[in-house]
Amino acid sequence: MPQPVFRNSAKAPDGRGAKAPDKRVQLPSSELGSALTVVGVLDTEGELFIHGNVQGRINAERLVLGRRGSVEGDVVARDVHIGGRLNGRVFALNVTLDDTADVSGRIFHNTVTVAKGARIDGRMPWRPPSYFEALDDQLPETKS
Amino acid sequence: MTMFNRTDKPSTDAAAGTTTPPQQPTASSPAPAEVKRPQAYAQPVPSPAGTHSVSVISKALKITGQLESTEDIQIEGEVDGDVRAVSVGIGPNAKIKGTVRGDQVQLSGQVDGKIEAKKVILSRTARMSGDVIHQDITIESGAYIDGHCKPDYGKAETKSAGPKPVAAA
Repeated sequence: MPQPVFRNSAKAPDGRGAKAPDKRVQLPSSELGSALTVVGVLDTEGELFIHGNVQGRINAERLVLGRRGSVEGDVVARDVHIGGRLNGRVFALNVTLDDTADVSGRIFHNTVTVAKGARIDGRMPWRPPSYFEALDDQLPETKS
Repeated sequence: MTMFNRTDKPSTDAAAGTTTPPQQPTASSPAPAEVKRPQAYAQPVPSPAGTHSVSVISKALKITGQLESTEDIQIEGEVDGDVRAVSVGIGPNAKIKGTVRGDQVQLSGQVDGKIEAKKVILSRTARMSGDVIHQDITIESGAYIDGHCKPDYGKAETKSAGPKPVAAA
């Protein structure tokens, strides 16, 4: 059975969304320092700060890619904040690109904010929230 | 590139040239002003790299793959793969399947694989399944080890420092 990627969000439709701020406080956060290189899959139900180098798939509730950070691979998260380099696809409800962001690939989003100066090479398709909730471990095939 | 080089070289030469003569007549005022400038340029570059030195893998994070760092790592979550860093801390609820290498490894959690480090500390909650290769080991009462503890004095520094216990055994 495919598991929904957003485990927390799966509860949102039947319950009430008002509990969101509580969860945000509880989110366990991980930090990958600038000297760290990870090759593989990162899977967390909490926050993830990346200042180093990641090659591989990332699943998180919230991802912050620092300006020195770089990611090569697909990112699935509820909130994504990019200040560094990303080569791959993003699947996220809320996407924020800082002025230092350098992204190549597709950014699937529901809401997006782009700061002046951000570099984006690729498409930014809009998707309804249901699209992101239906995502499972097997990501859809897309061009480029 | 050439522009930056050009501006840097004359400025330092000029700074060195100009600061020394005025310093003798007027002691305080011009010298600090000259010194501050290069600092202001130098500061923004190293600070972002230097701020995040320690990496923390929280209990909710699972990593399948390799981790490599030239600084310290603290692991509270789950790692399925090899870890290499200067100092590796493995928290009480952490689980690692693979080889952990470093100058220092402090284990309070579970490792299923191997530890290779100069200094190994197994705390009372440690659960180690596999070999430990070390130069200096501490095992607290309560630690669980299923595997061999092998001293490795293969490095040149330690050879000269003391006799080999390996040869006797």
